[in-house]
Amino acid sequence: MEMDSHETQPIMTSSPQGRISLRPMTLSDVDDYMVWATDPKVARFCSWETCKSRDEGIKYITDSVLTHPWLRAICLEDDRPIGYILIMPVDKIRKEIGYVLARKYWGKGFATEAVRLVTAEIFKEFPEIERLEALVDVENVGSQRVLEKVGFTREGVMRRFYFMKGSVRDMIMFSFLPSDPLK
Amino acid sequence: MSQKEINQENSMEMDSQSMIKSAVNSSPPEKIHLRPMTLSDIDDFMVWATDSNVTRFCTWEPYTSRESAIAFINDVVLPHPWLRAICLDNDRPIGSISVTPVDKIRGEIGYVIGSKYWGKGIATEAVRLVAEEIFKEKPEMERLEALVDVDNVGSQKVLEKVGFVKEGVMRNFMYLKGNIRDMVMFSLLPSDSLH
Repeated sequence: MEMDSHETQPIMTSSPQGRISLRPMTLSDVDDYMVWATDPKVARFCSWETCKSRDEGIKYITDSVLTHPWLRAICLEDDRPIGYILIMPVDKIRKEIGYVLARKYWGKGFATEAVRLVTAEIFKEFPEIERLEALVDVENVGSQRVLEKVGFTREGVMRRFYFMKGSVRDMIMFSFLPSDPLK
Repeated sequence: MSQKEINQENSMEMDSQSMIKSAVNSSPPEKIHLRPMTLSDIDDFMVWATDSNVTRFCTWEPYTSRESAIAFINDVVLPHPWLRAICLDNDRPIGSISVTPVDKIRGEIGYVIGSKYWGKGIATEAVRLVAEEIFKEKPEMERLEALVDVDNVGSQKVLEKVGFVKEGVMRNFMYLKGNIRDMVMFSLLPSDSLH
């Protein structure tokens, strides 16, 4: 699912609280990106290793972020990103959601708002999608709570499901269907 | 057959231990063994592959011609990384079982049996045979999984009897012949004990 260039993508404003907005990321976000990308506590459950230099950050944004089919910076009122949220195609009818937030902004409901915003819009944007899913490490309780708060269904623990950073992890599968109610 | 296939065939011969395990069935279990499939199995293949009762929960429609079946054996069966005919004592196949890599650590098991042979514990025995051997054969495999339609209760029972763990229902997981289906996810780990 190749997306249009980011200039023509709609900027999503936020849910009723109005605290965050979503927009495409740009290279000028690199310094804000480095805040979370260099943090091992943030990277703990991510497939990527922490970023080691600004140049590496620029390269990663250029090669992987700007080219991503669907990725949005999560921004506060000052339009500066505190994380990002993305949607990956799994197959013709399934997409997977992922998100990362700088640690300073954990525990305030920002990820929940971002996930709720995306979930509310994604089926209109991709009408062929029958299922939005998320895979969360069994130990990543914070991220599990985000999905539960939005109204995702916890389907079960997939044992020894995913090889990440040298170990095989149990992952919890969550899903949200077009017919599900958003919480 | 290559030497590798011959070795695999020998290692899949059912031993008396497997016979004792399946003695819980009410009727004496049919003795089966697994071996690679070949083009000479085409006519036996047609028996189950043309049966709409058998294909009900398969992604494919029943085969209607010998030519398309031959193409399937050439294009899919022979190059498959791990596919075995399920054979009775006369070495004729009555179904097949396969393990397909999902990624480097996960394999997915699938099986199909001619409807005349349903209800005799054959699928259970075939799955058990594979479960006993596959992790030794593929030491990199951390997880053997199976996806079963929510309505395919017979196949769910097979996996439960062998000792697979039912992990949950994946909603709207895939299309089957034009309908979106919920699928039950099962898994077996090398560390799990078989029933």
